[in-house]
Amino acid sequence: MAKSMNLLWGSGSPPCWRVMITLEEKKLQGYKHKLLSFEKGEHKSQEVLEINPRGQLPAFRHGDNIVNESAATCLYLENEFKSQGTKLIPDSPAERALMYQRMMEGLTLTDKLNAVIYYEWFVPEGERHNSAVNRNKEALATELKLWESYLQKVSAGSYLAGAFSLADVIVFPNIAFAFRFGLSVGRYPNLAKYYRFLKDRASIKSSWPPQWLPSAQGFDNLKDL
Amino acid sequence: MAKDMTLLWGPGSPPCWRIMVALEEKGLQGYNSKMLSFEKGEHKSAEVMKVNPRGQLPSFTVGGTPLNESIGACFYLEDVYKSQGNKLIPDCPKEKAVMYQRIFEAMPLMDKMAIVVYYDYKVPEGERHDSAVKRNKETLTAELKLWEEYLQKTPGGFLAGKTFTLADVVLFPVIAYLFRMGLCEKRYPKLAAYHSALKDRPSIKTTWPPTWKENPQTQDTLKEIVSTESSGECGFSRNRHYIAVFP
Repeated sequence: MAKSMNLLWGSGSPPCWRVMITLEEKKLQGYKHKLLSFEKGEHKSQEVLEINPRGQLPAFRHGDNIVNESAATCLYLENEFKSQGTKLIPDSPAERALMYQRMMEGLTLTDKLNAVIYYEWFVPEGERHNSAVNRNKEALATELKLWESYLQKVSAGSYLAGAFSLADVIVFPNIAFAFRFGLSVGRYPNLAKYYRFLKDRASIKSSWPPQWLPSAQGFDNLKDL
Repeated sequence: MAKDMTLLWGPGSPPCWRIMVALEEKGLQGYNSKMLSFEKGEHKSAEVMKVNPRGQLPSFTVGGTPLNESIGACFYLEDVYKSQGNKLIPDCPKEKAVMYQRIFEAMPLMDKMAIVVYYDYKVPEGERHDSAVKRNKETLTAELKLWEEYLQKTPGGFLAGKTFTLADVVLFPVIAYLFRMGLCEKRYPKLAAYHSALKDRPSIKTTWPPTWKENPQTQDTLKEIVSTESSGECGFSRNRHYIAVFP
């Protein structure tokens, strides 16, 4: 099973990390994988383009089935391997609704994080504006406050949609990403609690990024947020 | 139960439309439905903010639980109502894989469309650049070429294979929006054929944006978007148009 899977990934990429967490949770260790370098532009190599014409990581293949887009890969794996490993989609309709909601909101959070942290990566030099940088930071601060409110009742075993679920698979890497880039633990206590509860979960610990890609400012973009 | 569901929506908005298509496909007619106006700013009204602190449409609740994210809502409806209406997730793992990927590829497609169509709305005056406008158009063109290729690979006529799936629920409204904005059918024949084949599907026809029915004239915002295999001109039209503000 796992041996017929191949994951091309980059270090410090939340989307890649999500897939790795899911593979661990579904007891699919032993999958083939290759670490590529964003900095060297390896995500645009022929090897990647053959699986993912968008030239993006993660690029994932299971036998003849290609499933790129991290959320798609995670849903595919949960669906195909429903009966093994951790159940990642709750049974109760109310929790399931909440899970799908938070999962998709997690993708909005990713965009807002990238717009701040990798601003220079996405916007060519002649088009950059302090006004845009400030607006992106405000938008991210607003977004993170929303997540603080979502995690008001976080405790051991009670995460974004009750028990650990695909919502956490999608969102936790974003939260770890935010703290890596200097987010204040004091100003975001619920996010900090969430981070502490989950950072040692087996699937998360074993797939922790070996390194993170620095922004143009290094790693403290979010310290004033 | 449909009666436990409430949808606040804006006409023409692909995320709103896809939930409506899903509800029809699953035989969940009878849900509470209220059309709101983006132009009047009703997506920021107290009624919406109560269920969606982001002040966006769609705002959708199922038994009191907000499920505003449209793709999430579509997955939820198929999951919970699996045994009624049309089956929207295929059994075949290969088609399932394609379906999941296409669904999430709707997001870059929408983003790239929005930054072209709504550039002036999204980017304050002092931050606009011709270089950005040009690049955004090229990026959208490359994205559309990818979707033309995707449709070439699925001769069944649907996005994931031989049957209508959640991928079509999620993507048809986006593709319809592209043509509404003037995308040239001659330059994108596969997308045009897809659009033409599906527009009369009952779930789609029933939920067609009322404002588009009232004013069928397409806009010409995307008229000039070219594919590399472009041939032939597309007609130019200069009518004043209704604009659906993209949330």
